[in-house]
Amino acid sequence: MILRKALPRRTFLRGMGTAVALPFLDAMAPAFASAAPGKPPVRMAFVYVPNGIDMRNWNPGYEGKLEKLPRILEPLQPYKDDILLLGNLTHNTGRALLDGAGDHGRCCGSYLTGIQVKKSTTDIRAGVSMDQIVARQIGGQTRFPSLELGLEDARQSGDCDSGYSCAYTNNLAWRSENQPLPPILDPRALFEHLFGNGVALSPEARVRQAKYRRSILDFVTEDTHKLESGLGPTDKRKLEEYLGSIREVERQLEKAEKDNAQIDPHMEKPYGVPADFAEHFKLMTDMITIAFQADLTRVLTFLVTHEGTSRAYRELGISDGHHPLTHHRNQADLMEKVAQINTYHMKQFAAWVEKLKATKEGDGTLLDNSMIVYGAGLSDGNRHLHDDLPTLIAGRGGNYIKTGRRVVYRRETPMCNLFLTMMDRMGVQMEHFGDATGKLEGLDLT
Amino acid sequence: MLSGFRNLVFAVCAGGWLLAADAPTFEKTVQPVLNSTCSPCHNDRLASGGLDVAAFVKTGPVAQSREGWEKILQKIRSGEMPPKGVPRPPQLDAAIQYLQGEFDKADRNLKPDPGRVTARRLNRSEYSNTIRDLLAVDFRAEKSFPTDDLGNGFDNIGDVLTVSPVLMEKYMAAAESIATRAIGANPLPKPIEAQYHNKDRRIRRVDVSTIEASHRIDFDGEYVVRFGLPGERAADAKPVEMGFWMDGKLLQSMPVETKPSGLVYFNPYSEEEMRLLLPEGDHVFRAGFIDDPFVKDLTTKDFYNNKKNKFFDSITFVGPYASKVEKASRRKILICDPAAGAACVDQIVSTLARRAYRRPVTRAEVASLARFVALAKAGGQTAEQGIQLAIQAMLVSPNFLFRIEHDAFPTDPAKVHKITDIELASRLSYFLWSSLPDDELLGLAEAGKLRGPGAMEAQVKRMLADPRSAALADNFAGQWLELRNLDVVKPDPQKFPEWGPELRDAMKTETRLFFDYVFRENRPLADFLDAKYTFLNERLAKFYGIPDVKGADFRRVELSTGQRGGLLGQASVLTVSSYPTRTSVVIRGKYILQNILGAPPPPPPGDVPPLDEAAVGASASLRQQMETHRSNAVCASCHSKMDVLGFGLENYDGIGKWRTMDGKFPVDSSGTLPNGKSFSSPSEMRAALTAQLPDFARCMVEKMLTYSLGRGLGASDRLTVDEITRNWAPSGYPFQSLLYQIVGSLPFQSRRGEMATSQNAGKPKEVAQR
Repeated sequence: MILRKALPRRTFLRGMGTAVALPFLDAMAPAFASAAPGKPPVRMAFVYVPNGIDMRNWNPGYEGKLEKLPRILEPLQPYKDDILLLGNLTHNTGRALLDGAGDHGRCCGSYLTGIQVKKSTTDIRAGVSMDQIVARQIGGQTRFPSLELGLEDARQSGDCDSGYSCAYTNNLAWRSENQPLPPILDPRALFEHLFGNGVALSPEARVRQAKYRRSILDFVTEDTHKLESGLGPTDKRKLEEYLGSIREVERQLEKAEKDNAQIDPHMEKPYGVPADFAEHFKLMTDMITIAFQADLTRVLTFLVTHEGTSRAYRELGISDGHHPLTHHRNQADLMEKVAQINTYHMKQFAAWVEKLKATKEGDGTLLDNSMIVYGAGLSDGNRHLHDDLPTLIAGRGGNYIKTGRRVVYRRETPMCNLFLTMMDRMGVQMEHFGDATGKLEGLDLT
Repeated sequence: MLSGFRNLVFAVCAGGWLLAADAPTFEKTVQPVLNSTCSPCHNDRLASGGLDVAAFVKTGPVAQSREGWEKILQKIRSGEMPPKGVPRPPQLDAAIQYLQGEFDKADRNLKPDPGRVTARRLNRSEYSNTIRDLLAVDFRAEKSFPTDDLGNGFDNIGDVLTVSPVLMEKYMAAAESIATRAIGANPLPKPIEAQYHNKDRRIRRVDVSTIEASHRIDFDGEYVVRFGLPGERAADAKPVEMGFWMDGKLLQSMPVETKPSGLVYFNPYSEEEMRLLLPEGDHVFRAGFIDDPFVKDLTTKDFYNNKKNKFFDSITFVGPYASKVEKASRRKILICDPAAGAACVDQIVSTLARRAYRRPVTRAEVASLARFVALAKAGGQTAEQGIQLAIQAMLVSPNFLFRIEHDAFPTDPAKVHKITDIELASRLSYFLWSSLPDDELLGLAEAGKLRGPGAMEAQVKRMLADPRSAALADNFAGQWLELRNLDVVKPDPQKFPEWGPELRDAMKTETRLFFDYVFRENRPLADFLDAKYTFLNERLAKFYGIPDVKGADFRRVELSTGQRGGLLGQASVLTVSSYPTRTSVVIRGKYILQNILGAPPPPPPGDVPPLDEAAVGASASLRQQMETHRSNAVCASCHSKMDVLGFGLENYDGIGKWRTMDGKFPVDSSGTLPNGKSFSSPSEMRAALTAQLPDFARCMVEKMLTYSLGRGLGASDRLTVDEITRNWAPSGYPFQSLLYQIVGSLPFQSRRGEMATSQNAGKPKEVAQR
């Protein structure tokens, strides 16, 4: 009754103090480390930028407390106390390891899966990505177990990188080892996904629609089971995949009914993909902010553009493609352009950080309750290096991460160690993930 | 098991010894190389790259562990192995030769294997076309669904087409919207007004007489569209024809007065109005004067001077209004009145389901669909709304979304069998039309007559003549030639000021029409390389420097000079194989090797420094730059093949415009092909390439077979490819013969079971081991 709308709901609860359990903690929720009653949940997000970073302008020349930030990180200067900069994290599975060329395809495919993906254009095989492991464990508590977003349309034809399927560069999140989750690119599609198609239905019409959808889902589930006999193993797997997606839609439907809330995002439905990159970035992150705030999801992957992309940044006066530029062979003018592109991306990210920080939640801000990794699968894009990957975390992950610092780990420290720690923060205890040698210590130490 | 194989190896080798003492054997040619060069890393201790040579050899004779050996051969041939620092032994070539010989021998004894096709989800274009042919609804899946992943260069490969939860959600939403539009049983909302005005910056000015606005039509229906026209022209100005376009298609036109109205206005202004049927969806609307000679004499500063000119400044949409014309979709679906009773409901539902599932439907299936009509009626809705709901259910059923073929022995790869006539009908229609089988084809299949004498050939002939076969140009050629990337590439407007949507669309249309012509007229394959004709409109002809082509319509144009001719002289192909700022001989060379000659270069070995193409034109000529690159032996092995082809196209710039200078250096487009033929211009290169027509033909067979089957080709398909290529040659490779050959081939007509392995068995492994 009082929980009709998500946004006012939270305001209301604040007034009530901590005595009222938040509605998202239903009986199904396991003992949940970061969301004890009254405490806002922790959100985990990954923002991925391609083709490496100009590391000269990323790494500060010092460790410990953050002071003046290097050029690419400059847009984050006002929020330096809210970020943690991590040095020397490495993805060994991004390296060739006898699979030859294709660093772009490989590093993106392995980024969140921690797996050396199979070099093939048809037999796609990666692994379950860590965001999906988390989504599977805790996603039941939100309407959407996870969100996958991006800004760049997938390539339409041709081979993506030296024999690696485009699936590896078009996606960050993998639901199973051969089912990637394609990102939503169109702000309007994201809007409809999160908030419905914008047509306000009468309560009866909404009930009827939900009832119809449920009976349709029952119908197709039955159809699928009838089809399964007499199929070979691969065909069966395809239908399993389909059924899995049906079940997920069913669950979302149930969840939406239980909340009985249509969230009012207080924004106009976007028309489509804006021509302006910054505008596109902003629209998407505005909506994520609302989705986080209304606890529609706690897990996000955001593939800014594709590994190996040749997008030209005309808005910066750069007409060469991003990827060709990163093979600069240390020519100063080309490196300068790469640094400009890197900084431009960071500027967009910083605007989102600002927004999260301006959004109050509980005693703190939405940013405090988030841990957002901003990073790339390559450090030096010119030489395709997979060590000292540019990695930063924005937000405190629910008063856990001690931000405002730069921590440099031992060389070749597996990136997967960070993932183990983050999964732990999200309430998922894993012994092993990828090539992790243990948790990444020290995120919470000053 | 293992020891059995070892004995087999031994037996094979021993047999060799008995036959001839000096014949090459595995022991003599391969084993020593393995021992000396490979084993130091690929042994049981290190097993670099997961390979232990000794254990691998034990798994069986070479022909039986073919896949593994092919991988090894590929690595050796590409120069990846032996790695840098390990000398390449001279005996390696003999070892390669021996292995290849064994494979060839094995191929000769191969049992025909049709392979198997994984259940295929409809991709975006198939979905749109199927909806069009099933319900007469114009739905654009490419605007609603996420991009389909590609395998083997095509987006219809069953193995890589997946269903994610987001896609499932889109399927649900699309089904709802399509069904609603098809029947239109829900009352339309009250009309609303949406205005796009220059003062709000909501219109784009395409040119002085043309404006454009992106607008979403939320409901199929009639709309009143108003055009705001400020200004007036001279007293003797003639009326001009005003056009109104949607997504590039002219919908309606009408004459408009431009001379002063005689009324006393401070600001002259008039409005025009049209009423027309608009389909739901996101559209780009354009309003403009068609052939408006008046503005040619106007100075720029007077363009928007309302005393000197009349121009557009707004488009307003008012609607929707119910249309008096009965929708095509309703005529197609409502073959009787569903309110009349259950018999009609069953009739409508069974007719639709048979088409949607592309097979006869059972009584139980009809009943379960008819239940939705009852459900709607129980909820106080009409029978038509119930039909709407049944359609909605049909469109998310796996029977609709997937094309599934059945085996009697799904896990026994030895059981090869012909697919049913019904399955064959869908294979034909999705191959040639990217859509469902029509009534004639499906009817023939249901009657079991599709494989009757001459029946299939007659159907193929009929289907190729049908306009729906344009899908081959859109989907096959669009992907084979990478034309779809024309929408993605972004040539630098500073370097290529002529580039724009109009030119881009013209390029795409040229190649689409050209491909369509070669295929409809059954022209020989060689036309793709050196046809002396093409298809142009004024815009593209001007870009090519070809005179006397007037107007926006495309027509066949005979080419009188050698500057253009064949696909490799078409701007579309030349643009998608360039960088945004310049040409790339490497990309173009690779494009030809991959898409024409069927010999894609292996990926560059790791650690090779990328080519310094950026300095081209600035500090050194392209050729100097490339030659430096090729002084590296590892690079040279592939680049000598690739680059020469790219150089032959250097007379075309990054968007395919003819040129003789590149920056300050004259263009040198000469070279010598690996087959020894020399050339000094693009046209000579094209002529030299026609000598490699058999390679091109084989490449085309491979691509078309892949596309037609929806799966990648494997070793077992080699025989089919050989056979089709052989049969196609004597007639001089007329294009349509290829299609007939393919539909008659073993893999198109048959399938087999699939061995259950640990990799494909059971449920997808969704969560890593904990």
